[in-house]
Amino acid sequence: MAVNTTTYVRSSSRTSAYLDWLQMLTGAALILFMWSHMILVASVILGAGVMNALAGFLEETYMAQVGGPIIGCIFLFHFILAARKVPFRAEQQSTIWKLSRQLRHTDTYLWLVQATTAMIILIMGSIHMWTVLTDLPITAAKSAARIQGGFWFVFYLILLPLVELHVGIGFYRIAVKWGFARRKDRKKFKKLENYLTAIFIAIGLIALLRFLLLK
Amino acid sequence: MARKLIFNIFRYNPQDPHSVPHTDTFDLEETESMTLFIALTQLREEKDSSLQFDFCCRAGICGACAMMINGRPGLACHTLIKNLPDEITLMPLPIFKLIGDLSVDTGTWFRAMHEKVESWVHTSKSFDPQAEEERMDNALAEEIYELERCIECGCCVAGCGTANMRQDFVGAVAMNRIARFIMDPRDQRTEKEYFEVIGTDEGIFGCMGLLGCEDVCPKHLPLQDQLGILRRKMGWSAVKQLFRRS
Repeated sequence: MAVNTTTYVRSSSRTSAYLDWLQMLTGAALILFMWSHMILVASVILGAGVMNALAGFLEETYMAQVGGPIIGCIFLFHFILAARKVPFRAEQQSTIWKLSRQLRHTDTYLWLVQATTAMIILIMGSIHMWTVLTDLPITAAKSAARIQGGFWFVFYLILLPLVELHVGIGFYRIAVKWGFARRKDRKKFKKLENYLTAIFIAIGLIALLRFLLLK
Repeated sequence: MARKLIFNIFRYNPQDPHSVPHTDTFDLEETESMTLFIALTQLREEKDSSLQFDFCCRAGICGACAMMINGRPGLACHTLIKNLPDEITLMPLPIFKLIGDLSVDTGTWFRAMHEKVESWVHTSKSFDPQAEEERMDNALAEEIYELERCIECGCCVAGCGTANMRQDFVGAVAMNRIARFIMDPRDQRTEKEYFEVIGTDEGIFGCMGLLGCEDVCPKHLPLQDQLGILRRKMGWSAVKQLFRRS
């Protein structure tokens, strides 16, 4: 902590509090969205018809056309809010990297994972949203064609675990920061985080394979 | 057979212009019930009398002997050698001003922190030495005492990713301190006044929830719980102030 020797009148500001609220709320909204999104996409496992029916419903009600861009905005807004905490200066990056290696402390490592995945998700997530939303309606056949092309299969093979890790860690972090996970519940929340991440990665992989094999 | 221990110790004397930061390696035979404090004292007695490190109480009460023990902050006097591997690397705590070798000045940092969060009972009552002491509910007194157990060793600050990256972050020790005054009925500060000292990105909203503090605190203070409670309290306080425009 820097020692401030100047005398000054403290300006009382609530900005930090509101930004922190917004960071948490946009994060929570995106977590819920990502889990629902995964479940909706995974409907293809049950059959192309199920997925087409769900996608058709979301488009007839304009939820995809309106909701999609809204999610896109929340996504970018969440990035801007959370970026307040991400070290962009090389000196800070080296500090946190060295500290994590020294401490060998899981939660500090997980934060590095969160911050690193964030940058990749920002780019890959934007590409994904643009590709899907500029090519509505969503149908199982179109998605399958993209995946079977090869490029998008590899693309999602990378994006899927990154997103699920980020979302899972974010879930745990919100619980810790806002006092939902107390000391006695920490192990439980950690376990839940790990299970949720693993389950959603598994569902995502199965869905990807289904698309790959869809005729 | 006693283990032969290897100590890699950070050496640097900022007072000496010829001194260059480096690591010295010492070996020492382990003895029964040896603590890191005992080992360091023996090294200074037998190997190198210029080795600088702090200690005072030898019982985990004064907080002077905090250092980075194999990369983790901890108290030397609390650390049993039998729990450590054969090779032990010792570094001074980061963030704090280095006095020399393993000795750091935590005092300047802590004083600035206390001033920043106004870490004292704020009351308009004048003290009457003749009057009987005001009574406090025992359960509450114990709750406050639980947080008062902090020995200000600086481990939570050294183990905090945020504090390491941002020099203006006040650390878990300050939040714990404020939490203690919020509980104390003698402190007449309002929620808004607490918010002004801690409801910032230098305070509770700067905390990223990495929980390094919780996991390295040698006194096992409930830092995770207090940080969570404080964030919620200060978060709601900001929302309430939004609707109570005066």
